[in-house]
Formats: sequence, structure tokens, C-alpha cells
Amino acid sequence: MSMADRRRVVITGMGAAGPHGLGAEVLWRRLREGSGMIAPLRHPFQDKLRTRIAAQVPDDVDLTAGIDERTLPLLDRVSMLTLAAAREAIGQSGLDFAADGLGLRTAVVIGSGVGGDNTHDEQSRRLYAEHATRTHPFTIVRLMMNAPASQVSIAWGLRGPTFAVASACASTNHAVIQAAQMIRNGMADAAVTGGAEACISYSALRAWEAMRVLADDTCRPFSANRRGLVLGEGAGVFVLESLERAQARGATILAELAGGGMSADASDIVMPSAEGASSAMRQALDDAGLAPEDIDYVNAHGTGTPANDVTETRAIRLTFGAHADRLAVSSTKSMHGHALGASGALELVAAIGALRDGVVPPTMNLDQPDPQCDLDYVPDTAREMPVRAVLSNSFAFGGLNAVLALRRAP
Amino acid sequence: MTDSVQQQVFEIIAKQAKLDVGSIKPESTLKDLGVASLEVIETIFDIEEHFDITLPEQENADFNAETVQSLVDAVQKSLDEKAAAGNGNDA
Repeated sequence: MSMADRRRVVITGMGAAGPHGLGAEVLWRRLREGSGMIAPLRHPFQDKLRTRIAAQVPDDVDLTAGIDERTLPLLDRVSMLTLAAAREAIGQSGLDFAADGLGLRTAVVIGSGVGGDNTHDEQSRRLYAEHATRTHPFTIVRLMMNAPASQVSIAWGLRGPTFAVASACASTNHAVIQAAQMIRNGMADAAVTGGAEACISYSALRAWEAMRVLADDTCRPFSANRRGLVLGEGAGVFVLESLERAQARGATILAELAGGGMSADASDIVMPSAEGASSAMRQALDDAGLAPEDIDYVNAHGTGTPANDVTETRAIRLTFGAHADRLAVSSTKSMHGHALGASGALELVAAIGALRDGVVPPTMNLDQPDPQCDLDYVPDTAREMPVRAVLSNSFAFGGLNAVLALRRAP
Repeated sequence: MTDSVQQQVFEIIAKQAKLDVGSIKPESTLKDLGVASLEVIETIFDIEEHFDITLPEQENADFNAETVQSLVDAVQKSLDEKAAAGNGNDA
């Protein structure tokens, strides 16, 4: 489908739940302020763990608010996070799904790396440690990867194409690209999309400890003294629709989702490849009809692991050439941690905020220059600057890459 | 003993259906009582956990349409079998 034939896709609602609490604007304000959300780990088995820090939803946030009492027992934490973010995004969009059969033409695509991990962990513990002979009968409906998407579809009566996407840390971006493609080609008129992750379970923490990629004090993307990633949790949900629909109904457009690029490294299962990441960035630019020089800001994947940050820096140089030195690049994972499949969702809030307000959020904790990480990472404080277009990078274990390209609202 | 089992089963159903236990009649079905689809499965699960028994799979499938008395009878049968075996199903 040529650029001229396809519909343009815009974002008219965003919602977030995460270590900042509830609210996409709250998250964006915290990121602008350089406010860290990584805190001491709160977990019933924390005494058994080496991990001491995480970016968790604060205990005083009520994730059950607004959820029907009879639905609650069916929900893993990952679905509760999704519903909280979806409620905000849909409310902001002002879309009425009951009008003109829009609900029949609205897609739901939600990404997650591990889905209902807390349910899986808890029920397995019952079986193996407590020698229970049965699991809770709602175990499957809570843990299945499509539960967040299905629960959104049920809650708002959305009957268009609905499914889950799982590509580890790239899950959100893959989901958003799928949703946008369906609007572009006319398969759907609107979409509720994003990502969610609730992965702070005992077994997941143990597994990440075993991979030796967790930092023990904080997350320092691109800094020479970086020691790894900090696990987080959260959800970000976005309402997409065609530009024509949004303009016709006078909706407030947050940003244009101009394009997406996806690629696989096809090499090492955990070591990222600069060529693979660069391929996804190039495809996102081409898909959006943007030249490298049109991009002012890249929200980096920026995990704070030794391998990612050097490789991503090389990938940005491969993609942008001389323009790489004129780009602002930052990793907001330094503040909200790495919410795995939901990271792209929290970062999309940052990308939209940067475009809308002309403010690039900072990379925090960048206190030692690394000669191999030699871009402008906007350390310490946010920067006010004109932002015409941005890329938001997500790269996953397994060598899967997904990059979003956004432009200012038309 | 049967009355006691019936009372306990009715209380579990009442909690799930958010009903007064007095409103449950032996001839009611779970469907009549407004216990729908997955909630029936959860009710059966709660009953199994409460009595530490495992109700036969085949019968579970029909509890939605059959009377709550049939559910009580199935629980009683499982309890009797457990007692006769001399140890619990969950040994």
C-alpha cells in the first residue's frame, strides 16, 4: 500500500499505571522533573532475594478501583494495570464506542512479555511448595497472555480484531505497530493498544538474578559505571484512530503515529546487534516518510546493561550518520525502570510528551562518561527544544526490534 | 451429618451468589440463584477446598443445571468415600 493510499494514524488518548502511580500526565511530569521511581524492593520473599530495588506500583495505589466486583477474581495484576491505563486513555480520547457501531470496528492489541506471571507463580507455589492438589479454577483466565486484551474488549464492548503480542521487551511497540497497521489499511477504525507487565514475582526475580543483568543500586544508562537493569512494572494504553475521524469529531490529537519498523537480529538470543536495531530504526523512518534529519529526539531502549547501551549507540550512529551528533537521546528507564513488555508503553508517554511540549526528558544517573557511549544523552535535567519528530526504540531478548516513529500532531 | 453438610454447602453458595443463605432451597439450581459460568467453577472449587475432597469431573459439568441438593449429595458421597478409604483424597 503506497503512502498516498493509506490512512494516517493519530493518538487521541493515553493512560498509564506504573511506579509513578496512576495517570499518564503524572508519569510525564515525573519524567520531565527527572524524578526517579526506583525504590527498595517490596516483596513477601525479599529476604530470600539478592535483588534490593525495583520500580513498583506504590502500595497505596488502588488498582481495583472502577473494576466490577465480579470481574476482580478473574484478573491477574497485569490485567488490572491494563484496565487502569485503558480507562484513562479511553476517557481522554472521548470516543463513544456505542455510537455508529464504532465498537465493532475498534481493535484491541495489548503487548506483554510474561502476562499473568503473579498468578502463575502463586499457583505453582501452591502446587510445588504447599503440595496443593489443585490450582484455583481461574488460573488459566488470569494468566493467559491474551487476558489483558480480552478484559479491555469485554469492559468496553470492543468487537474488532483483538489479540495479544508477546515479544519480551519489544511487546508494546510490536502491539502498537499492529494496531496502527489495521487502521491504516481499513481493517479497523480505531484501536486501543499498548502494553502491560506485572513481573515482580519471586520466580521472575530469581530468574533475572540468574541472568546476572540486574543492577544492585540504580539504573545508569550510558554511564561507564552502569551495572545493569532495574525491573519495573506498569502499563501504558493508547487510543489510535484515523486522522480523518479525529479531525471530523474535533478530538485533541496528542501526536501522529507516523510509522513503525520491525526487525530480527537473527544472531545471539541475548546479545543485541547494532545492525538489527539500526534496521528497525531505518524501517521506521521509511515507513513514516521521514528523513533521519527530521528526527530531533530518540527515546532510547537504554537499559543500563553494558551490552545494550554500547550497541544501541552504534545502531543510532549507523542509522543517522552525521545527524547522530545533533540528536537528543535519552533513556527514561533511568527513572521508571525496565517494565519489560510494558517499557515501550511508558516510553511512548515520554515520546508523546516530548513532541507535544517541546521538552526532552533526561537520562538520570549518567555520572561517568563512557567513550563508547558518545551521543548527547541529555544528562540530569530535561531540555526545552523544538521536537518535530521522535523515534522510540524497543529491543528484546531474542533479538527482536520494534521502533515507533512519531510526528507532532497535524 | 447431612444437614450440616447441606448447611455448609449452602453457605458457600450464598457467599458466591451474594444471597441470604435462607433463600437457597434444595430444589434451586445455581443458575436460578444467579451463579453464572465461571462462578460455578469457583463455587465448586470453594466447596472442594472447604471439605478437602475432589468432586467427580463429570458431575461438575452438570451442577449449573442440576439442583443444589444434587451438589450436596455429591459432596456427601465424596465425604463418605473418603471416610471409607480411611484417609483423605489429598494424601
